[in-house]
Amino acid sequence: MVEDRFLIWRFNRGDPAALCRIYERYRDCLLKVAAALLNDRSGVEDVLHDVFVNFAQSVGRFELRGSLKGYLSICVANRARDTNRTKQHRNAVCLDEVPALSADGVGPEQAAMGRDLAARLDAAMADLPDEQREIIVLHVQSKLPFREIAGLRQISINTAMSRYRYGMQKLRSMLDGELES
Amino acid sequence: MTDTRDTERMVETYLASLRTPAADGVDAKVLPDALTAMHKAKPQTAPSSRPIWRTIMANRASKVTAAAVVAGVVLFALFDSFTQPAWALADAIEALKDLQAVHVVGAFPGGTAEIWMRANEGKTQSTDVVVRGSHGAITWTQDGSTYHYEPGQNTVYYEHAMTLGMAQWLGPELLEMLSAAENAKVVRGKDPATGRDRVMLMCSLIDVHGAQSWVIEFDAASKLPLAMRQWPNLDRSGPPSFDAFKIVYYEDLPDNIFDVPIPSDAKYVEKPLEIPPETVGVMSNPQDGIPVEGMTQQEAAEKAVRTLYRAVIDQDMNSLKNISPLCRNWGDEFLRQIVFKPDKDDRIVEIIEVGRIRKTGQSPLGPIAAIPTTVRLENGKKAQQQMIVQFRQFGEKASCVVHGPYGLPREIE
Repeated sequence: MVEDRFLIWRFNRGDPAALCRIYERYRDCLLKVAAALLNDRSGVEDVLHDVFVNFAQSVGRFELRGSLKGYLSICVANRARDTNRTKQHRNAVCLDEVPALSADGVGPEQAAMGRDLAARLDAAMADLPDEQREIIVLHVQSKLPFREIAGLRQISINTAMSRYRYGMQKLRSMLDGELES
Repeated sequence: MTDTRDTERMVETYLASLRTPAADGVDAKVLPDALTAMHKAKPQTAPSSRPIWRTIMANRASKVTAAAVVAGVVLFALFDSFTQPAWALADAIEALKDLQAVHVVGAFPGGTAEIWMRANEGKTQSTDVVVRGSHGAITWTQDGSTYHYEPGQNTVYYEHAMTLGMAQWLGPELLEMLSAAENAKVVRGKDPATGRDRVMLMCSLIDVHGAQSWVIEFDAASKLPLAMRQWPNLDRSGPPSFDAFKIVYYEDLPDNIFDVPIPSDAKYVEKPLEIPPETVGVMSNPQDGIPVEGMTQQEAAEKAVRTLYRAVIDQDMNSLKNISPLCRNWGDEFLRQIVFKPDKDDRIVEIIEVGRIRKTGQSPLGPIAAIPTTVRLENGKKAQQQMIVQFRQFGEKASCVVHGPYGLPREIE
C-alpha cells in the first residue's frame, strides 16, 4: 500500500496528522479484532490504547515490513492474548449482550435465530485455542493472507492454514450440533 | 451439515456484527495519549524538501520526466481548468459513450511514456492515472494526491492534489465542449500512409499550465481519437512536447494496472506550489481582482474563492473574468460550457464550505496559496476543488485574484 508507506514516512518525520490518519484508517478494524479476541470485551479500548501508544513511541525508527494493517492487527492480537492470560477467566456470555447477526430484510424468527447463532458462535469462538481463534480473526476480519500471518507469527504457512482449518472444523462441528438439535 | 464455506460466512457475519465501543469515546481515550507519546519520542529535526526538489528539477532526466507528466496532465487534461476547444462529431460522441478507460503510448523529447487512465463512474473525469516513463519514472494519482517516483533518486515527489488526469473525460461531454471552442479548426482528409479518412482538430490556448496547442486526430470510420500532439506554445511551432501516437480505448481496465510498487526505503518529498511564469502577466492588471486590505491571507483567499464561485453560480461572466483573469483567454461560449454548465447536472449551485489554506508558495507577483472549497452540484453531489489564489500588492493596495484550479475536483459524496 503506497499510502501506508507514505503515512509511515510522514509518521517517522514526527507528523501528528499521519498518526491520526493511521489511527482513523485502522481503528474500526482493530476494534473488531480486539473484541473478537478478548475474553472480556470491556478491555477493547485498553488494548487499542496500548497498541497505539506503543506504536507512537516508535516514531522516527518504525520500519514497515509487510502491511501496516497486518502489523497493527498482530499487535492487537498479542495484546489481547496478554490480557486474556492476565485475567485468566472469561465473563459468562449473556444472550442480551451478544451481538445479533445481521438480520436485514428477514422476519423476527430468522432474526431471533441470528441472535441465537451469534451466541453459539461467540461461545464457540471463546472455546477455541488462542492460536486458532487468532488466525481465524486475522484472516476473516483483517483479511490478512495466510502467508502474511505466517510471516508475522514466524510460523510456516502450512501451520497457519492448519490452525485455520482446525478452528473452522471445530466451529462447524459445534454449529452443526446446535442446528440439528 | 454446514459446509466450510457456510461456516466462514457465518464467522464473517459474526465478526462484522460484533459491537465495539463508540468511536468518539475510543478516540478520546486513545489519540491524546498516542499523540503525547509520539511528541515525547519524535525526532527533533526534519530536513527541508524544497532544495532537494530544485536539485532534482535541475537534472535533465527529471526535466524529461516532468515534461511527460505535464503532457499527461495537459494532453488529456486539455481542460484541467477553465479551458477548452473543439467541435462536434456526433458519431464520435456515440462511439465513446461506453468506453471508460484508455491506454496511450507517446514520445516526448528524450524518451517515451505510457499512460493508463480510467474514468469515474459517471465518466465525467479521470480517477486513476498512471504514467510510466521509459527511464523508469512513474507518476500516478491516488486518494486525491499525485505522486511521482524518480528511480535514480529513489524518491517520491508528491502533492496533495490531482494534478494528473482529465478534468473532463475524453468522452462525449468533452467532444461536445470542443465544439464550443472559438479557435478550434477542423480539417478533414485522408491519412497519406493508410488512405483512411481522418479528421484533425487543431486548437490552442493559455491555461493554468501555460501556453499549449494541440492537434488531435480522429479516425473517420471508428470515430475514435487515434493520436494527439501537444506543443508548449500557441502556434504549434518546434518539436511537440508530447506525441501520443497510440490511443486505445477499453470498456474498463483491471485494478492491478494502477498498482505502483515503490521501494519501501524511498524518500518522499513534497512538491512546492508553483504557477507557470507565463500566466503571471495576465494576473497583473491592478483593475482585476478584489481588494483585501487589512485581511489575513486566509480571509483574503476565502473572499476570493467565494467571489469566484458566486460568479459561477450566478453565471456572471464579467465577475468571473475579473476575479480569474486567465479566463479572458477563452471565449465566452467556451467558458459558459465548461464553467457555468447551464444545462448540466454537475453545475455548481451552492458553496458549502471554504477550508483552510493547505499550501503556500511564491510567484513573481507575490505569495500564492491553495485553498479548498466544497460545493454542491445540481445533481446533489458534493465536490471539493482546490484553487490557487494569487496575492498582489500594488503600491499601498493589497488585492488578490484566482489563478485557477489546483488539480482536478474530487467528488466527496
